[in-house]
Amino acid sequence: MELARERKRGLSFYLSIYRKILIQDLKSKMSFRTDFIISTFGMVLTNVSGFITFMILFHNFPSVNGWDYNHMLFLYGFSLIALTPVQCFFDNNWNLRFMVRSGDFIKYCFRPINVFFYFISEVFDVKGLGQFAFGLGTFIYAWAHIGIPVTFVTIAEAVLFLMTASLFMIALMNFAAATCFWIINSGYVMVIMFRFKDFAKYPASIFNSVFRFIFTFIIPIAFVAYYPSLVFVTPDRVPLLSWLSPAIGALFFWLSYKFWMLGVRKYDFTGS
Amino acid sequence: MTKIRRLTALTRAGIIESLQFRLGTAVMLFGNLIYLALVYFLWKAIYDSSGTDMVNGMTFHDTMIYLILATAIFNLLEMFIVWDMSRAIQSGEIIIHLLKPMRYRLYTFWSYTGAHVNNFFLAFVPTFIVVAVITGGAIPMGMNLLYFMISLILALIVNFNIEMLVAPICLYTESTWGINIVKETIVLLLSGATIPLAFFPEGLRQAVEFLPFRAVYDIPLTVLLAKNGTDTLAGLLPKLGIQALWVVVLTVCGNLFWNHAVKKITVNGG
Repeated sequence: MELARERKRGLSFYLSIYRKILIQDLKSKMSFRTDFIISTFGMVLTNVSGFITFMILFHNFPSVNGWDYNHMLFLYGFSLIALTPVQCFFDNNWNLRFMVRSGDFIKYCFRPINVFFYFISEVFDVKGLGQFAFGLGTFIYAWAHIGIPVTFVTIAEAVLFLMTASLFMIALMNFAAATCFWIINSGYVMVIMFRFKDFAKYPASIFNSVFRFIFTFIIPIAFVAYYPSLVFVTPDRVPLLSWLSPAIGALFFWLSYKFWMLGVRKYDFTGS
Repeated sequence: MTKIRRLTALTRAGIIESLQFRLGTAVMLFGNLIYLALVYFLWKAIYDSSGTDMVNGMTFHDTMIYLILATAIFNLLEMFIVWDMSRAIQSGEIIIHLLKPMRYRLYTFWSYTGAHVNNFFLAFVPTFIVVAVITGGAIPMGMNLLYFMISLILALIVNFNIEMLVAPICLYTESTWGINIVKETIVLLLSGATIPLAFFPEGLRQAVEFLPFRAVYDIPLTVLLAKNGTDTLAGLLPKLGIQALWVVVLTVCGNLFWNHAVKKITVNGG
């Protein structure tokens, strides 16, 4: 009982800190107004470009591996939404290697709050919201055209599966970013991981068994959209992995957090 | 003569510098292999479901060679001029570059050649050999290889000029990430690096013909695969001519823009 109350206070405490840091971050971003506008435009443009690529593909090929246009669109929208949190909330991972190298990272270790939380909350990437809007539009369009029933259960499922699917990409980027505690200049690890997300929007059934195993259990991009989508697209034959994906996502995220924190501890010892 | 030696010294320095990051190159190569596997499975599934072997004049092998080598060229040509320039401006380092007894554009170009040479031999050539062996003779081996080299060098210059044309925009906008992502998205889509231009709908393809981006990926790859009549001189020369034209146009524009932008540089502290 006592413990539960402690935990609860902890959460609201962290939320209020997050809000304060967020406001500061937005203020500083607003002072570079042109940069903000161009970056937002750039983000929208990447989404439009991805969509054009998608349309060109379907202009030439009406279906891929038994997935028709609307189903592919559903996957596409699902992946865009699931990839929004990593863009919006976890963007500071990209700065980690510079901070670690220059030694500026030490400032995060001297605060009486969780290092991971403090570091990650420092940057909120507003540009990601454009992607969210784009993804949501696509998702709803595909949802309506496939004719998935709109009930309390399906919507609750959608929210749950979208949120847990987003954990996979977040965890992948945490792992990739944390490599910089051991390897100098490890930016390329992040670049490679980030490129894999382009393939989250395709059905994992196109891969042979070896690669399906890799993308399910080692670099789990198949969980970003494919497995959770099956719950909605083929409701009568959902594989077990789809139902398990929320739990796997939570576990994977927890592991990445532990790995990240392990790096922090290692960083302390070098005393750089 | 001394001038050439001065320039090749930059090439040599670049080769030595980029060899320092061997682990990075190895990991990058490994990541690219997995990425290529993804591309392979995607297009295999696409061709399998389409029911025909040939779509828009491209067989599955053609598409694979095109896309894999486009990725290889992308890695080969990758330059970080937009980032370098904005970092140099923020730190004030740009002043040192400007004071050098060599024009900034020339200096930047030649200091990247080292990395290009390395990437060519360590990444592009192995990829090319693997692709050529796997697809079992789908890449014609003849004069087209020589033409491809010429076309690739022209592509490199066009790409450099696009970078140099975009990078100074940061001086005006203080936006690096934004400018860079806009440039990269436009170049990758309209140059045919993500989807071969042959698949584009007719209207879009005709529009893209008039833009410089296809000179970076589409023309070298078309020449390499000896498609669209590029195996004859009559078909080849117009393609190389387009690239040369873009080299000239973009160099002139880039020079004018840079000369204007350099006056705008304000370095805080430095």
